[in-house]
Amino acid sequence: MPDPSFLFAQSLSGLTAAMFLFLIASGLSLIFGVLRVLNFAHGSFYMLGAYLAFQTVQSLGRGPSSFWWAVAGAAVGVAVLGGLVERLLLRHLYGKEELYQLLFTYALVLIVSDAAKVFWGTQQLSVSRPPGLAGAFRLFGTLVPYYNLFILLLGPGIAFAFWLGLNRTRAGRLIRAAALDREMLGALGVNVSRLYTGVFVLGSFLAGLGGALVTPVKTIVPGMDVEIIVEAFIVVVIGGLGSFWGTFLGALIYGQVLSFGILIFPRFSIFSVFALMAVVLILRPWGLLGRPLKS
Amino acid sequence: MSGLRRIPWAPLAVVVALLVPAAGSRFYTFVATDVAILALFAVSLNLLLGYTGLVSFGHAAYFGIGAYTTGILMKKAAIPFVLAFPAAGVLAAIFALVFGFFCVRLTKIYFAMLTLAFAQIVWAICFKWNDVTGGEQGMPEIPYPDLAWMERLPLAGQLRTSDHFYLLTVVLVAACLWLLRRIVGSPFGRILTTIRENPERAEFIGVNVRRWELFAFVIAGAFAGLAGGLFGIFNRGVFPDFAYWSKSSEVLIMTILGGIGHFYGPAVGALVLLVLNQQITSYTEYWPFILGTILIVLLFVFPGGIVGALDAAARRLTRVRRA
Amino acid sequence: MQRRMVLAALLALVLLVPPPADAQKPIRVGFPMIMSGPGALFGEPASKGAQMFVDELNAKGGVLGRKIELVVRDTKGNADEAVRVSRELILKDNVDFLVGTLTSAEGPAVSVVAKENKIVFIAPIPKTDQLTAPDKLHPYVFRVASTTTIEGRTAAELIAGWNVKRVATISPDYAYGQDVTRTFVEHIKKVKPGIEIVDQQWPKLGEADYTPFINAQMAKKPDAVFSSLWGGHFVTFAKQAKPLGYFDAIKYNFFGAGEAASPESTKAMGADYPVGIWGNSYDAFYWTDGPPAHRDYVARVSKYLKDEYPSSWAIQGYIGMLALAEAIKKANSTDSDKVAKALLGLTIDTPHGKLTIREKDHQANRAQIYGKTVKDPKYPFAIMKPATYVDPTKFMD
Repeated sequence: MPDPSFLFAQSLSGLTAAMFLFLIASGLSLIFGVLRVLNFAHGSFYMLGAYLAFQTVQSLGRGPSSFWWAVAGAAVGVAVLGGLVERLLLRHLYGKEELYQLLFTYALVLIVSDAAKVFWGTQQLSVSRPPGLAGAFRLFGTLVPYYNLFILLLGPGIAFAFWLGLNRTRAGRLIRAAALDREMLGALGVNVSRLYTGVFVLGSFLAGLGGALVTPVKTIVPGMDVEIIVEAFIVVVIGGLGSFWGTFLGALIYGQVLSFGILIFPRFSIFSVFALMAVVLILRPWGLLGRPLKS
Repeated sequence: MSGLRRIPWAPLAVVVALLVPAAGSRFYTFVATDVAILALFAVSLNLLLGYTGLVSFGHAAYFGIGAYTTGILMKKAAIPFVLAFPAAGVLAAIFALVFGFFCVRLTKIYFAMLTLAFAQIVWAICFKWNDVTGGEQGMPEIPYPDLAWMERLPLAGQLRTSDHFYLLTVVLVAACLWLLRRIVGSPFGRILTTIRENPERAEFIGVNVRRWELFAFVIAGAFAGLAGGLFGIFNRGVFPDFAYWSKSSEVLIMTILGGIGHFYGPAVGALVLLVLNQQITSYTEYWPFILGTILIVLLFVFPGGIVGALDAAARRLTRVRRA
Repeated sequence: MQRRMVLAALLALVLLVPPPADAQKPIRVGFPMIMSGPGALFGEPASKGAQMFVDELNAKGGVLGRKIELVVRDTKGNADEAVRVSRELILKDNVDFLVGTLTSAEGPAVSVVAKENKIVFIAPIPKTDQLTAPDKLHPYVFRVASTTTIEGRTAAELIAGWNVKRVATISPDYAYGQDVTRTFVEHIKKVKPGIEIVDQQWPKLGEADYTPFINAQMAKKPDAVFSSLWGGHFVTFAKQAKPLGYFDAIKYNFFGAGEAASPESTKAMGADYPVGIWGNSYDAFYWTDGPPAHRDYVARVSKYLKDEYPSSWAIQGYIGMLALAEAIKKANSTDSDKVAKALLGLTIDTPHGKLTIREKDHQANRAQIYGKTVKDPKYPFAIMKPATYVDPTKFMD
């Protein structure tokens, strides 16, 4: 029987990973829900968020608040970039086949990855934990870093903010309506084009935010874009493409499977998440909490 | 114009391809082998993409399965190529049958996602099953097939092993393409096109859409497997990345670049993309950047791919001449 | 329809300019190396060290009156890509020799390419025993790196000297990690039979989240750990392990093989480095017990890299090229068969003293510097003190 404090530590590490994933995957799911575009470049926006945060921390120095400025700056910067991409390029592909939209976002992946290499080189970069959250405290015999606690609280916080936004604001209602029936919106005289831009900007913001927040825990390195997009895909597919709570649930499941997977079949834990994704798609293609799409 | 039409282009292309080793450059043979194999891979994908209207995001799975099958059989079991090569197609087809059974039940984006998930499963197995696949470091040193008999052939006797393998590749790829061409030209091919145009209508007129889609999936998988079997030998080693999703997107790009509207479009895409890659990587390491730019131009300006664009240009030319 | 395709094909052929092929040109050396990703932490300085040797040699007139030209290509740390760029280096860039590769997945894969193309290949970094194992050895492959046997056994004797009983390992799940860990375990059981291996973790190479592995390992309560996470992988691991109290729990009884104590690694982490652990490195600019040639080399490499605290990896690229140049000189030819013969039993004068490439397994007696990391007020990062070069001779067979 494994030690309970170990089980606690392991599930906590799964939860932390899940909250990071939720931050990133929620943007992906949101964009798919409204625009019906599976955005491969979401991972690239995440990577850009990380690099921008690094850059800002570098130029601001190690002051007590520089990390937080860097996070805010990175998220906004990526959001602006997302807006430009949607306005200038992506919108011209809306009427076209899904495959073209997919390939367009894939082209962005290729371009952004090389652009990042030009600006930041290929070396891996590292950002320290923000001074206020550098320590750790003991809980049930396990050391919990303050920064992880912050992420554990931030995840549900964002989820709650989202839920409020979706249910209590006009924009939120439009987003939910768009996820259900796009044609209706246009017929009701809603400015669909602005809604799309807004959603893409918000989704990119979340990607940038996730990228910036992950820097104290992981190292910034070329290839982190592709790695995260695969994980985010798995999360949204398990939870349900376009489903908000589904993404949350998907992230929780993914985190725990990764954490405990290495105990059950140590060398095949990467296999287990893909298998889970396949099983969900076979049994419930629209995901655990999603709704079947209208064709 | 009509005179050009009567020239048997496909056999001519094969003859030209067979003459490549005569140039005496190992580099030409290298590139040409690469092109021939990936052309088959791309054309096999187009059976799904262009003919049936199914967007597979995990076609590399079958390529990888084929490569590992031939590789393992030839390297570890010393089974001759004549058996190991068809085995690649058979095993890939079996996997395509199992995976495809589930995939064809889904539509559109879910179909793409499930093909991706299966491909990643294949990749994860190749990546971690150290005892059989060599794991992360792959399986180098796949032997060449025994082609000593080619030395007795006129003209081919003086060539290197890699040239001999290239000649074999050209013949096998040509045979596969010929077969595929026959398949899409058959009534079966017309059923697939009907499904692509309007699956509901196809169902209505009595076509069992899922069954035919599965059939197409298996055939496409089998030929991708054959391409993989050749590629492992050409590449002198089999690696887990053969089944990774980036490989799937690579072949997707080739197919779209060449044009999904024509049988040989994807082959042209493979040729152009690989030759371009060879040229550009000599000058800059930023090949992905250039590929991404090409892709964007393609999507916005030539959505029909190279062949589609040339087609349109030629049509305009004819119209001008007539006027 | 089809004539358009032929047009496209012709267009493509026009683009395919013949590769340049001249005879009386510089000697071209292909250098496939990781230049991106976590491995670039080690790969990039290694290629600079090679370039420095080439620049110095060319300034003195080159070898056999010909200059050397280094053609560096990125392998992305991936065996498939390494094979591909190596073949392109041979077929397209017409290189005469190959020096390079970093990971133990790349090394054996490129060795096969060298064998088939009958081109000398000198591996300056990959350590897996498989590279020069009897069934893989061929006339064209040579290694001036250390080996997993040397490193695993050295680490085993070191940890055997600690007052510990419960030992765990954490290693990347591929050739290098598997080989060095197996050797370590075998050897430590031999030299200190009372030791118990309580846990073995195998994250994949390039893992981004080590937390589950760290927790699982801590749960087994080891009192010492042998790790072979290297380069950027170690940096990510340590960054995640430190706040979880991992190093405290084992009282810093941690040995990081795979150059975890190299200046590159300690510099990359700065204040986040788990100071107090043990590690090794191919070189250390602060190593003062070395031969005089080493001090001279450090001054040169510091100037060349414009770095006050120069890289420890430059030396592997440097020694790789040095061995090749000396062999070309000895063979008085750039013919791979003759150079390969010249390399057998060749002794070269390196900044770390004499190295000899053994005839029987094409392996140089290359070792590393070992030590415990400490904070030193002179430097803004941890160093090994004392830094000891451990002679490998007794570990080689």
